[in-house]
Amino acid sequence: MKKAVFVLIGLLLVTPPAYADDTAEVDAFLTKRLNNIMTLLQDKKLEKPERNDKIVVIITEAFDFETMAKLSLGKKHWPGLNKADQVRFTKLFIERLKASYLEKLDLYDDEKIVYSKPEQVKNKVQMMTALVSGDNKITMLYKLYKSKNAGWQVYDLELEGVSLITTYRSQFNEVLQTGTMKDLFSKLERPEAN
Amino acid sequence: MSKFNISQYMGLVLLITFMVSCAGTKSPRHVDILPDLSELTGPPVLMQNETSPEGFDEFEDEFDAVPDLAVFDPLSGYNRAITKFNNNFFDYVLSPVSKGYNFVVPEGGRIGIRRFFKNLFYPLRFVNNVLQLKYHQAAGETARFLVNSTVGLLGFFDPAEAWLKLEAHPEDFGQTLGFYGVGPGFHIVLPFLGPSNLRDTIGLIPDTYAVPITYIPEIHLSGTSRTDRTFIALGVESYRRLNDASLRLEEYESLRRDALDLYIFLRDAYESNRAAQIKE
Repeated sequence: MKKAVFVLIGLLLVTPPAYADDTAEVDAFLTKRLNNIMTLLQDKKLEKPERNDKIVVIITEAFDFETMAKLSLGKKHWPGLNKADQVRFTKLFIERLKASYLEKLDLYDDEKIVYSKPEQVKNKVQMMTALVSGDNKITMLYKLYKSKNAGWQVYDLELEGVSLITTYRSQFNEVLQTGTMKDLFSKLERPEAN
Repeated sequence: MSKFNISQYMGLVLLITFMVSCAGTKSPRHVDILPDLSELTGPPVLMQNETSPEGFDEFEDEFDAVPDLAVFDPLSGYNRAITKFNNNFFDYVLSPVSKGYNFVVPEGGRIGIRRFFKNLFYPLRFVNNVLQLKYHQAAGETARFLVNSTVGLLGFFDPAEAWLKLEAHPEDFGQTLGFYGVGPGFHIVLPFLGPSNLRDTIGLIPDTYAVPITYIPEIHLSGTSRTDRTFIALGVESYRRLNDASLRLEEYESLRRDALDLYIFLRDAYESNRAAQIKE
């Protein structure tokens, strides 16, 4: 009993600083990258394709696209796919995600970014940011986990409380409920035709 | 006159039946008006592949916790049809009209007009903040209204936010119901207005009472009949919506391009967005 109490006290003493390290790490990691993106967006001299290439380099560092692809299909569909389909899906999904992210940035390029303190959620960290311009404010929640080889990585993004992974997952579910993987591929390839 | 009264009456009846049907359920914070389908479907069917790839489980509980809307969507057929209708309305009416309007009124002016209406909708935010016991926010709304109506020239400017850092706290009756634990109910897509659900659609009725535009027909203007004034009120509200939409055309177009299945996408986006607003 006494031992247990000591262990508990020990844990209480040890865990908070460890958590504080996590949030500080995420803060530094993400703030730097988002600031770099904002600088690129405000640089009017830069040609758009060149600018986009630079932004893609930054987000590729910060986002764990492979995990996001896997999560968006979920446990229900991903494990059942053969290797080739998994690779093809991942490729299509990443292309789509990048294009969509770049397009969103174009919409909000004259805004200011406001950071909130990151929060520890179990072993992951979430950081709330807001894009503010005039009377408009859009919240963006970045969710990160610590991957074994790449350190902190974004695995989901919530725009105004709407999770990217969740919305993709239910749409993929809907497509796969009535169709096959082939239908999903063709929809991912030609997003306009829905 | 008569139309207005019928909708008032119907709203009251709907609200009462709704409240009654929700009362008597055990936990006040989590009343769900969805039936519990788990009894019908039995234990979940085993997945073909029990061993998930490495690193999957770490996230799975997070996304599994999200309620699967597809389980109970009794109006999906109707909703899909209305989504298509609204989408066409956007393409063939709203978007071209807005673009013409954008040409006449510069963006700065449209933002001012949006602020003016936002200021006018102060009673709606005030009442619902009070109903949700958010007194501090309600007081903030009042301060905003006083400052913006005077210094902000009838609300066309927002000095309360710019100088006093007083942010608006939008709340509506749907959120108030959610605050008291009323679940969203099934999803409903409203013509012209877009995605909603049972709770929020019902919430629209009390909301109209807290919006000044509703009382335009009560103002006695010489030479106008009540019907005329009702049309004026409708015109004002439509104009408000057009002005709002004119500032967000690209946003919808961009969201639409993201969607593989527009209805499912808008439905889930709406429901998670509302859930997040209620949690605040």
